[in-house]
Amino acid sequence: MLALLADGILDVLQLKYLVPLAAGTLIGVVGGAMPGITITMTVIMVLPFTFGLEPLQGLAAMIGVYVGGESGGLITATLLGIPGKPSSISTMFDGFPMTRKGEPGRAVWLGVWASFFGGLLGGVFLIGATGWLAEIALEFGPWEFFALFIFALSMVAGLTEESLAKGLLAGALGLIITIFGADPIMSVPRFTMGSELLRGGFPFLPVLIGIFAFAQIMTDIERARSLAESDASARDLVSLAVSHVKVVGEILGRPFLLLWSTFIGLLIGVLPAIGGSAASVMAYDQAKKLSRHPERFGTGTPEGIIASEASNNANVGGSLVTIMAFGIPGDAVTAVMLGAMTIHGIQSGPLFMSQETTLAYGIFAAYLLAHPIMLAIMAVGARWFLRIVLVPKSILIPVVLVLCVVGAYALNNTMDSVWVLALFGVIGYGLVKLGFPLAPLILGLILGDQIEVNLVRALMTDSDPALFVTRPISALLLALSAGSIALALWQRRRQRRRQPAADGAPDVDF
Amino acid sequence: MRKLARALALLALLPTAAAAYPERPVKLIVPWAAGGDTDNIFRPFGQAFQKQLGETVVIANIGGASGTVGAREAKNAPADGYTLFAVHDYIHLTYYTGVSDVAHTDFAPVCAVASTPSVLTASPKTKWRTLPELVADAKARPGQITVGATLGSTSHFFPAIFEKAAGVRLKYVSYDGLAQRMNAILGGHIDLTDGNLTQKGKVDAGQLRFLAVGTEKRSPEIPDVPTFKELGLDVVYAVVRGVMAPKATPEPVLATLDGACTKAVRDPVFAQSMKVQGTDVHHLDRKGYAAFLARVDAENRLLAQELGLLRR
Amino acid sequence: MRLPRDTLAGLLGLALSVWLFALTAGLPKSSFVPIGPDFYPRIVLAATALLSVAVAVEGVRGRRPRLPGAAPRRNLRLVLLTFLVFGLYVALLPLLGFRAATLAFLLALQVVLDPPADRRRWVTVALVAVVTTAVAYFAFERYLSVLLPRGSLTGF
Repeated sequence: MLALLADGILDVLQLKYLVPLAAGTLIGVVGGAMPGITITMTVIMVLPFTFGLEPLQGLAAMIGVYVGGESGGLITATLLGIPGKPSSISTMFDGFPMTRKGEPGRAVWLGVWASFFGGLLGGVFLIGATGWLAEIALEFGPWEFFALFIFALSMVAGLTEESLAKGLLAGALGLIITIFGADPIMSVPRFTMGSELLRGGFPFLPVLIGIFAFAQIMTDIERARSLAESDASARDLVSLAVSHVKVVGEILGRPFLLLWSTFIGLLIGVLPAIGGSAASVMAYDQAKKLSRHPERFGTGTPEGIIASEASNNANVGGSLVTIMAFGIPGDAVTAVMLGAMTIHGIQSGPLFMSQETTLAYGIFAAYLLAHPIMLAIMAVGARWFLRIVLVPKSILIPVVLVLCVVGAYALNNTMDSVWVLALFGVIGYGLVKLGFPLAPLILGLILGDQIEVNLVRALMTDSDPALFVTRPISALLLALSAGSIALALWQRRRQRRRQPAADGAPDVDF
Repeated sequence: MRKLARALALLALLPTAAAAYPERPVKLIVPWAAGGDTDNIFRPFGQAFQKQLGETVVIANIGGASGTVGAREAKNAPADGYTLFAVHDYIHLTYYTGVSDVAHTDFAPVCAVASTPSVLTASPKTKWRTLPELVADAKARPGQITVGATLGSTSHFFPAIFEKAAGVRLKYVSYDGLAQRMNAILGGHIDLTDGNLTQKGKVDAGQLRFLAVGTEKRSPEIPDVPTFKELGLDVVYAVVRGVMAPKATPEPVLATLDGACTKAVRDPVFAQSMKVQGTDVHHLDRKGYAAFLARVDAENRLLAQELGLLRR
Repeated sequence: MRLPRDTLAGLLGLALSVWLFALTAGLPKSSFVPIGPDFYPRIVLAATALLSVAVAVEGVRGRRPRLPGAAPRRNLRLVLLTFLVFGLYVALLPLLGFRAATLAFLLALQVVLDPPADRRRWVTVALVAVVTTAVAYFAFERYLSVLLPRGSLTGF
């Protein structure tokens, strides 16, 4: 395994992989730093560029974006008090106060180094666990896959800020999108309304891009007072000089905090569709509960920064495990990556590791190498990224939209995908206006076809529906689904008694 | 300077001179996702083809709805020789099973390039070592042995032909695409599937079993695997892939394409990559391919009827 | 009276699921597979209808009151204009071809989002449009061999 990893690293060290990886990391850092541009958006923008590349080149670029994006957000969060993306909100809680206490360098570099160590620890898990989990996944029959997907949906619906019924409804709407077009068993056209375009159903990526890009961009537009100004006003560039030995010492001197935060990040990453923001919030919360000085949290304590950043980078490693071992995307970013893999004809899933060994180890290597690259980019450019935040939205938005169109078109080389993109742009914005959480919706969209196929397959293999609850793994997963819904109901009831919930903001990121 | 003058002259002649074909990149529509069997065959073919054609051949994967989205796109493309269509036997099946309105008669054949023999493949978790053991077991348990297949497509028809020849009844479970079928058969969630020589590695490693191959004579790649014929079953099945153009494509353009294709299939690099795909180079020119398509079309119609899938 | 947002959402969900459920009646039975193409959609649509009712009821009961006065000013006119410009772009793309349509779109949307006041801003707007179009075209068509749409009217 180590020999394979070494081969993988040597592979990726070639210029033709290193360039896309470094470029992806840089774009990720920049995208992560810009408020209003999520990592999902950044990956969507990079997507069309990967079509013409070799599979590993394209995946390296996307992994770079993913890793860079999780770290990029911390610059603006710590220095300007503006989270570049939702998963750096909890970094801001202590990072920004630390900056105001006159230690901006310490704040930024604590975050960067914590990301680095969290990410690398996540990498160890990624490499160790993927093959092992893939072997388990091979034992999964259609019953188990069906139950697993139901579990994922119920959990995500339960986690949304909105009401449970609305979270579940959003998930169901996602499923509905997938029932259009040829049915996956006999290709009988469904709900085509006589349209040729609908015969193939709604292609996944244009729908995803449409919903995400427009939900985000239109929300930005309607909130902006003036799009000429960006969110941040120009400030003097500060000095970020700091003793790295001291900062690294501060992090490694708290091994338990680092490991626990990493573990939370990984766990959230492995579970489908929860995402980095939940990871960093949970890790921050845990760090506060376990700390000897919980009262110092929020005033600029290093623990808060370390917990948040270590966990959101480890989260990336966890998500990569799920996509590689099960072929199920953990979040929208990995969903786009999975789409890109399909474009290149790579089937991820239990056999991925054994059939595409070179590629698998290439992905591990790219993930590991993205971290030192991220470190180098931060060392050289951290101060300059503050400037990029100043690019006005009136320029950014048109360019992003053009890339969305190219991405949709290039997927299938037809305008059909672009029509779908536009249609779901309108629908996505409408859903946000109606207050639907997007995370369960997207998960329903991702899993819809698989849920149907596995349900029907199970019944085709054996017409006895009781097998869903008599096969042990399937029964366990279904019990967990029921449990997570019950838990969500109970929590909400308790919360409601304490305080009336505020009107939730659209959670564009997940 | 002279080059420029020549280019300008060509441009001026453009609307009338069909002799100038091809003068810009040619798009070859593959109606399945990249990396599938069909794509793996046409990518190397595209390389060899463009060497002969003198212009870039761009592979455009237009997947979706059992390959019918790409077929429709190709059918509606301008018939100028700049859009070609990579096809296999599914085109007959999707037409007769009513999945799509596009038939092979909507296109002008250019040439056949490759033929992939089917191999009946069993899960390692089954107890059969040979085909007769399977047949005996299937007779004892009718309708209980599961076969993973893309329903209504070639991977469904091949086991169905075997079913008919052996007088047994199997149970079909929908698994779209070879990769999914491999996951399921390795995990033992299905018993049988339509495989091909690309799975030889897993057979050698004991993860899969080849029971019989659908060729006339034993394949030199897997000399230990018997043919159906020598076991007394009349099952010969291979998936033939070729290139077609929209129906109204001008005669001279078709002739140019046919000529380039004839030379391209002789390319040793192409032959080598076909070997890796477990596929034979199988060339038919325009006339030969047209005759072949007509024959296979009739066969498929009959087959669809016998299986109760005929919708036309 | 204005409908509570959740009630509206629930009613829309209900209408969609009932309508699609009615359409499943027209789906053919499968001769070959024991489970027809209407099996799974019906389960999903029934679930959606139930959840829609739950959401609509929650909305009426007003379990989650809107916090008054907190709503920021919304620039809906600009959103509508952006959708309009984007719609035009998508419609013109196959007619004018990628290069012409994209250039026009980039110019138009920049102007809509932030009308340039002086000459310098106009230059910036034009520059962004030209450079983005050129870079996208060359990067995709030339370097990444992604063929972008050609105009059916312009052949360009």
